Amino acid sequence: MSDPTTQLFDTWKRQLEESTQAWSKMVSQMTPQAAPPDPVAFWRPVLNQGLENWARMFAQTPASPDLVSQWKQFLDQWIEAWSRVLGQTMNTEGFAQMMGRSLEQMLAAQAPAKKAGEQALDQMLMHLNLASRTQLTGVAKQIVELEERLERVEDGVQAILRRLDAKER
Amino acid sequence: MAQERFADVVERFTSGFNGAAAAVSPEVAKQWQEELERNVRRMTNLARLATAPEPRTGQTPRQEIYKRNKSRLYRYASSRRHRTPVLFVPNLGISRPYIFDLLPGGSFIEHMTREGFDFYLLDWGVFGPEDNDLTFEDCVTKILPRMAAKVLETSGTRELSVLGYCMGAPLSASFVASHPEIPVRNFINMAGPIDFSQIGLFGLWLDAKHFDVDRFVDTLGSVPADLVKAGFKLLKPTMDLSTNLNLWWNAWNDKYVEGFTALNKWANEYVAFPGEFFRQWVRDFYQGNKLFRGELVFGGRPVRLSSIRCPVFVVGAKEDYIAPPACVRALIDAVSSREKDYIELPGGHISLIAGRGAALHCWPKVSEWLAPRSGEAA
Repeated sequence: MSDPTTQLFDTWKRQLEESTQAWSKMVSQMTPQAAPPDPVAFWRPVLNQGLENWARMFAQTPASPDLVSQWKQFLDQWIEAWSRVLGQTMNTEGFAQMMGRSLEQMLAAQAPAKKAGEQALDQMLMHLNLASRTQLTGVAKQIVELEERLERVEDGVQAILRRLDAKER
Repeated sequence: MAQERFADVVERFTSGFNGAAAAVSPEVAKQWQEELERNVRRMTNLARLATAPEPRTGQTPRQEIYKRNKSRLYRYASSRRHRTPVLFVPNLGISRPYIFDLLPGGSFIEHMTREGFDFYLLDWGVFGPEDNDLTFEDCVTKILPRMAAKVLETSGTRELSVLGYCMGAPLSASFVASHPEIPVRNFINMAGPIDFSQIGLFGLWLDAKHFDVDRFVDTLGSVPADLVKAGFKLLKPTMDLSTNLNLWWNAWNDKYVEGFTALNKWANEYVAFPGEFFRQWVRDFYQGNKLFRGELVFGGRPVRLSSIRCPVFVVGAKEDYIAPPACVRALIDAVSSREKDYIELPGGHISLIAGRGAALHCWPKVSEWLAPRSGEAA
């Protein structure tokens, strides 16, 4: 029987290795044409470095708050390693294709639902004798256009005033 | 092989952890006490963070001098020492511009006004469904010329400097390049993408092979804020994790927590894109790279970067994954200016303009470059 600390680290190690394998498998299924990124290449040096630091500290010194800083550094490196793995995965044609397909599916599902929802809402508002969203948007658009026209008129007046001013001089 | 090495490390670690209880020195005991106190402060600040009212951002005094539909032009109070005013053009959509005036002591705008610049901010505003027909071209040919004219009129000068940040840089570069009659004395591009062939992840995801922008806009009408948020979160999925880890780590520091609260408020306030603007932005810039290629025609005028002849200053950020330095730097080779400078600073897209690093590295560089090129106020 091993002691509880060893058991804990055995479990941790097993989890990491299994998640690495699962990740590699998932990525290789997602991008069959391209060579899958190797997440192990990123996180193994991080793990090695972190664990070695910790082992050294525990073995050589009495525990000090530096441990917490070391742990923070380890987590930073861990996150950074994951960030690179994900960055590498997302920077592939396979991932872009997958995103494009997901978006297509979302749009295909959303378009009829949106149209139906808008029509139902418009009808309900009409029955209640209230302005619909489309009508309100139309009015707002007209106000924007009016503002633009006013500006053009203002510009014209300014230009005429400037010309008159120049003539007077 | 690699698996064995990992096992060796675990083995070394577990055997190294033998519980050797060395006598704790007074120095180590003191360090632990400090750590404990720090943790108490962490807990107090985190509890306060959960119930704290929204921080007051954008406190530099300003005056609205012009408005058009949702867009506003603000002039900031300054002890004006430089004659040439600065028109600051940020991104349209995505986020709100109070990031540039986040908190007193941590504000780019406050820095520029303190340096004596007559500073103007164009706030594009938050667009609604009634603005879905607004295009990139409208912004360049209708809104920007009017804003520039208002700046000249209010400041009583004949020339102005234009400073574009993020998407504001291609917007203002297009404006400067296509409006030679507007007297632009200096042009600054801060983290603004110019050569979209080097834009990185967004370029790949928005490639015409994978992304049908017409279908997208035709279906949704506009790009809702939630989708904008999802896109940016996806660009750096570990960002929230490291943000929260750093918050916990620095939570003992009141100043850090104050800055975090303000920045976090901004970082979670996304702004929608008008549909037609997004269509043109993606089609002509991400997919067509037309600005860099000189193929854009706005309002019947060709938009050629080579027609920019004023002094140009370009600032890129080393770790910018939204506008990587190479795509920002491209402006330097595209313009015809005799005087053009490029610097690459540490940090990312946001930390270039906001935060302690920005105050140290970026803001002084911008004001020092601009000051001798802005004349003296009468």
